[in-house]
Amino acid sequence: MAQLEEIRGAGLGLKRELMPALQAGVPGCIDFFEIAPENWIGVGGRPGKQLAWVAERYPLACHGLSLSLGGPDPLNEVFLQRVKQFLDHYRIPLYTEHLSYCSDGGYLYDLLPIPFTEEAVRYVAARIRRTQEILERRIAVENASFYVAAPISEMDEPAFVRAVLEEADCDLHLDVNNIYVNSVNFGFDPVTYLRSLPGERIVYIHTAGHYRKAPDLVIDTHGETVIDTVWDLLAEAYRLFGVRPTLLERDFNIPPLAELTAEVERIAALQAPYATAIPAVASA
Amino acid sequence: MSVSSLQRYQIEFCAHARSPKTHPRPAGIAAKRMAVYAQLLFNNMESSLAGCFPVCKKVLGLRRWNALVREFFARHRCATPLFRQIPEEFLQWLQETERRNIPPFLPQLAHYEWVELAVAVSDAHRPVGWEADGNLLAGKPVLSSALMLLRYDWPVQRISPRFKPVQPLADPVWLLVFRDPDDEVRFIELNPVSAHLVELLQAGNFTGREALLEIAKALRHPDPEQVVAFGSTVLSELRQNGAILGTLSCK
Repeated sequence: MAQLEEIRGAGLGLKRELMPALQAGVPGCIDFFEIAPENWIGVGGRPGKQLAWVAERYPLACHGLSLSLGGPDPLNEVFLQRVKQFLDHYRIPLYTEHLSYCSDGGYLYDLLPIPFTEEAVRYVAARIRRTQEILERRIAVENASFYVAAPISEMDEPAFVRAVLEEADCDLHLDVNNIYVNSVNFGFDPVTYLRSLPGERIVYIHTAGHYRKAPDLVIDTHGETVIDTVWDLLAEAYRLFGVRPTLLERDFNIPPLAELTAEVERIAALQAPYATAIPAVASA
Repeated sequence: MSVSSLQRYQIEFCAHARSPKTHPRPAGIAAKRMAVYAQLLFNNMESSLAGCFPVCKKVLGLRRWNALVREFFARHRCATPLFRQIPEEFLQWLQETERRNIPPFLPQLAHYEWVELAVAVSDAHRPVGWEADGNLLAGKPVLSSALMLLRYDWPVQRISPRFKPVQPLADPVWLLVFRDPDDEVRFIELNPVSAHLVELLQAGNFTGREALLEIAKALRHPDPEQVVAFGSTVLSELRQNGAILGTLSCK
């Protein structure tokens, strides 16, 4: 099996729109790419060849969209088997999913908020454990962004995240933009939230841009550049927990590669001061 | 089996997000925030369908198109976790039930539009061992692995907001849709005889010559060699535009 350590440094979400520019020359600051298995499983033709081209040259991380870890439907194990084959085929060492749900007897294709209840902790954790069993590896779950606080919630978000991670014994995929988005949408301090997370479980980090719809409402679009407050949160995460492989997500309004490269370089620049502290790099 | 309070809440939440006008908002949620989800989910669904069915959208017009997408989203439960298969589920749903509020050609038009996506990303394995410049009559012609032969009762390839047929065609139209060696999706209109030829080649057991003699037989043609001569040109054209990759030599 591919090793988690292969994913390191700074990465970029792979989009088909970017393929011609990437095939003309991948910028040096990009250490790895991330894909959603839901967009690439069973895809042949030109996009299939493009993925093979990337996979031959760069480590890949997988960030799932459709597993619906918190959903009311039975876990889609047929789909999970396909994910497993896909991970094996492309030797992908990291698979992460959202701490959310996206189904109600059918798929809705977006990420919905799980109410933060004791029942949800046990339910989601059991499904994460089952996923780890099927995939024969640890997975990481990502703190999600959301817009509605469930009136049936019994705890706050960081308490829910911590409880699920412990009960499932899985890793954390930290999304610093999502913390910021939720901090505006629900009026809490993002740094306090960040500090309360179990740093030893963090294996992977996301940063992204968002859309400010109103003073108290931010939509997690991945369609803009990353704002300074979110860059500061990323720097704070590194300071608190150390550097983790970090990815720039951009899914809409995709600009020319050069503009994204500047943001990936900024990730690399924030990571640079810690480089000598990593033994593997120091002895290389 | 009793449904947990967690799941009851989720089902209510989703029912409202899918169809805000017919399902009440779960208690205790601010209308403004809930509307964010209803809008996001619908926009996602609409844009993934509009991306595949741009002509259907134009032909219906925005109001009827949005109503159709809303009906699909509200009533249908998509079974595929794969985003690119959403259009296929929409297409199946469209074909399943008769609808009075859409033009009768719409299911076939939607199929025609979906085919381009299906052929573009098909992961059918490319056959191996063929010769690109083999003799098309003596050898077995090998078709592109991503290829579909389609018969439509409506002139789907010409439908637009300015041309909305009300009657099906007297004679169906045959279209060959395939990925050429450069992975471009190409559409070719075939006459019924050429379509029959492609059908025979899809079966894979005929040399070019054998397939054409079959056709001569079916046509009860007085001079089968004439059919072979004519068909030889068709085969060459199909190879030229990439529908035929080459030939397998016969043993």
